[in-house]
Amino acid sequence: MDSTQKQVVRTQWLLLFSVLIIAVCGLIYELIAGTLASYVLGDSITQFSLIIGTYMFSMGIGSFLSKYFNKDLLTWFVQVELLVGLIGGISAPLLFVLFPVIDGFQFLLLFLVVIIGTLVGIEIPLLLKILKDKLSFNELVSRVFTFDYIGALLASIVFPLLFVPHLGLIRTSLFFGIINVVVSIILCYYFQKQIKRVALLKFSAFLVLIGQVLAFAFADEIMDYGDELSYQDKVVFAKSTPYQRIVLTKNREELRLFLNSNLQFSSRDEYRYHEALVHPAMSNVKQVKNVLVLGGGDGLAVREILKYPGVENIHLVDLDPEMTRLFSSHKMLAGLNENSLKQPKVTIENKDAFIWLKESRTVYDCVIIDFPDPSSFGLGKLYSNTFYNLLKRVLHPLSVIVIQSTSPLVAPKSFWCVNKTLQACGFRTLPYHNFVPSFGEWGYIMASQQAPLNVPDTFAVPVRYISTPVFLQMMTFSNDMLPKDTLEINKLNNQVLVKYFEQEWRHYTDR
Amino acid sequence: MMTVSGGLGLGMQACRAQRKIPGSIVGASAAIGHMLRDKAFEAPTVFEEKQVVIIGGGISGLSAAMHLSKAGVDDLVLLELEAYTGGNAASGSNEYSKFPYGAHYVPIPNNELKDYTAFLEEAGVITGYENDLPVYNELYLCHDPEDRLYINGKWQEGIVPNYGLGQDARQQFARFFEKMAALRLAKGQDGKDAFAIPIDTSSSDPVYTGLDTITFKQWLEQESFTAKELLWYANYCTLDDFGTTIELISAWAGIHYFAARKGKAANAHYDDVLTWEEGNGFLAAQLRNRTQAEIRTNSLVISIEEMNGKVELSYFDVQQQKVLGLRCDQCIVAAPQFINARMLSRSEPERVGLVKSHMEYSPWIVANLKVKAGLEERNGVDLSWDNVLYEGNGLGYVDAGHQKISLSQPVKNLTYYKPLKGSSNAEARKAALAKQHQEWVAEVLSDLVKVHPNLEQQLLQVDIALWGHAMIQPLPGWIWGETRKKLQQSIGDTIHFAHTDIAGISIFEEAFYQGLNAAKQVKRFL
Repeated sequence: MDSTQKQVVRTQWLLLFSVLIIAVCGLIYELIAGTLASYVLGDSITQFSLIIGTYMFSMGIGSFLSKYFNKDLLTWFVQVELLVGLIGGISAPLLFVLFPVIDGFQFLLLFLVVIIGTLVGIEIPLLLKILKDKLSFNELVSRVFTFDYIGALLASIVFPLLFVPHLGLIRTSLFFGIINVVVSIILCYYFQKQIKRVALLKFSAFLVLIGQVLAFAFADEIMDYGDELSYQDKVVFAKSTPYQRIVLTKNREELRLFLNSNLQFSSRDEYRYHEALVHPAMSNVKQVKNVLVLGGGDGLAVREILKYPGVENIHLVDLDPEMTRLFSSHKMLAGLNENSLKQPKVTIENKDAFIWLKESRTVYDCVIIDFPDPSSFGLGKLYSNTFYNLLKRVLHPLSVIVIQSTSPLVAPKSFWCVNKTLQACGFRTLPYHNFVPSFGEWGYIMASQQAPLNVPDTFAVPVRYISTPVFLQMMTFSNDMLPKDTLEINKLNNQVLVKYFEQEWRHYTDR
Repeated sequence: MMTVSGGLGLGMQACRAQRKIPGSIVGASAAIGHMLRDKAFEAPTVFEEKQVVIIGGGISGLSAAMHLSKAGVDDLVLLELEAYTGGNAASGSNEYSKFPYGAHYVPIPNNELKDYTAFLEEAGVITGYENDLPVYNELYLCHDPEDRLYINGKWQEGIVPNYGLGQDARQQFARFFEKMAALRLAKGQDGKDAFAIPIDTSSSDPVYTGLDTITFKQWLEQESFTAKELLWYANYCTLDDFGTTIELISAWAGIHYFAARKGKAANAHYDDVLTWEEGNGFLAAQLRNRTQAEIRTNSLVISIEEMNGKVELSYFDVQQQKVLGLRCDQCIVAAPQFINARMLSRSEPERVGLVKSHMEYSPWIVANLKVKAGLEERNGVDLSWDNVLYEGNGLGYVDAGHQKISLSQPVKNLTYYKPLKGSSNAEARKAALAKQHQEWVAEVLSDLVKVHPNLEQQLLQVDIALWGHAMIQPLPGWIWGETRKKLQQSIGDTIHFAHTDIAGISIFEEAFYQGLNAAKQVKRFL
């Protein structure tokens, strides 16, 4: 074989290799679109069917269009390759970021699939034309399609087994984009002389390459950005502390606080929650002087407590200094809690409630417990019999406590498990619930060692929502809020509450 | 897979090259210990007079010290080779939590062990009694989730293999546990429990003691236990408690692991365990707080001799680099027998050979991994107290901070356990002593990286405790053979022995009663 012949053979293999890459990448983009659609829209059967169909059909469109390409075939081929790399590569990050903010997500998704499908559809016929003089028809069709189908097999194997588990969708998409772009760069160099405006093409290819490599490196940030957009409103504050991610959103009507993406309150209806949490317990103590708040770093429970002129000291123990700092200093938030955290009666300690209790010696007349729901083993410990037994050390027999106890409608087992655990620790209890629009039906358990827990005749402080007849309603539970099975007591060494809670909320959100 | 991730080369994961992870090798001071074997010391010139001397500050020695203090003996010295007392219950700490360097839990005790439960009550571990059953302090009962096993690509709850097991294996497990439940209740002709704690209170009925002549593996075969998951599990358990595989361990000792736990409690189950951040270091401190004994650490005892009804001993003060003498009325030797034999070699030269030919000790490492938050996890159950890999190279790891009640745990201390293998224990010990810190780190990583792919990146520090003679191996013939009885015998009325190696197995209760019984002997002769 002389050198030109060798050259021809090498060119052929390079082009066939690009067929393989196109096939792999094309199918990967299709799979990414299908997976992403199933993730965010659900109903994977419909999503995958729609996407596969649309993709195949678009390839048909591409093949049809290929008849209009008759000159500068190589130039077109490289340009199309680059475009596939660009659009395919950014498809996943783009969809992630846009999902929360646009209405026609499905439309955008299919649109991207159509574009990628069409471009890939153009490429194979283009290549056939490029190679048609170099190979017999027989050989040509055989080789091009062999590589095409091998590529398809390769893609469908590596995607679920290797890429999704190890790189995630965003990085996978960018990774294959990068491969496409690199191939187009290689082609640019190899066919320097045959390609028109090769410098411009190279320049744009490198630009895309750099962009995608950067995006690959910052994939986590892109994901976070997408998360932020998925809150309905404008994010006015976001910070990750060692304990949680605090996000505050705002629209014209309301402020919303999210901790680890769970809604903590909406300014529109938080008064319903905080009045229900605080006033029944406060009204059940004869003379309230010292009040302890565990959790509740937002200062909203404290705002309600401050309405009682007889209260002398309010002790707030919240783990996260960033929370209490934010709610003391942020203008909108301090406005919402009426500067409660800055009042002279209020002392703030940023400590673990459990550890703080072990060391504490003061006795309180009323204790308001506003912990996050028991969604982790760490939080579950704060609802255990050991915790409630320890709590007695800061109580006198007539002290009254109240505990936010998740939704008795969504999670009846969890709610009544807290109740049962308190009773097992020697507390008498009064469970009640109310409706908070942004949360749904919400539950609280009031408890005391010896104080009779009554319906107060009157709520002697200014309120917007609670009243004696309203409270009477709160004490009635409909059948669907009662547990169906016998429940266990939540202990450190069984953590049943976390298990109930996880089951019940997963079941609820799966529906 | 390698080619793909290797081909990434995009700067992100460029720090793949083995990073040097800080840390050190800590643990029993082999160098000082070996001086006893290799070095000639001069004799002391003066002898300090004491009523009682205890040699060895492990759990047996501390227990003896506590019980003597309680009995009113206050002219009491305890000599310890290491810089700390507690022996196998050693522990460490950093800014995030305390952590064990050795034994790290005790099962809830059998109720008839009154002296032991009384101690636990004093230590605040038992908070009271309900219907005659002890109520355990729930801060100390192992919190949930207790343990998980990585098997067939998933973390399952509990360490008895279950996820992905075939029908036959499941049936074998059911039969195995039924068998063990029956043996738990079994009694010998003499009316004693077939398998009891302390071991010496077990029935001597040959129906059961006969099991001490075969290996646990042989017994399992006889009983047609063949499922590989079951054999793995049995082997895991005997390694965990005795550092010994089922191929080597006596069947009696293997069964004892499963059949000797009979505790009842108001708020716990017989197979529940008590544990602390610092492991059994908590209990060691409780023993230490209850003795008035003068504790002299860094003291290597060279020789003990009975002399005109008294005991004379010489020891090397490592810090002063000086040989000192002590003369006492009564002496408790609470060190392992391979050391005792050397100390007693002048008057009882045959001991060295006896110990060498009959006693095997398994070497271990315990590695503490300080790990940044963000450890990658496989599917299944969340991080638990005990985390075990099916067919792993070691015994898995314990989350030392598991018993903490604080929510903020930005850094975790994970304590990894591994009994060392070799053609013999001596070979394994030799190889272990030669190993560098980074080699240990690589060894631990290679085991755990299967379940935490990014472990290396998250590792802040690894400290390795190397235990050359971690515990006695209850090989066939040891527990019910003659040698153990012979070595338990006091020398005259003055020198008494207390150690888990002559108790038969290395568990806390045995050590506790070894100390208690030696203290009783001493009281008898004072």
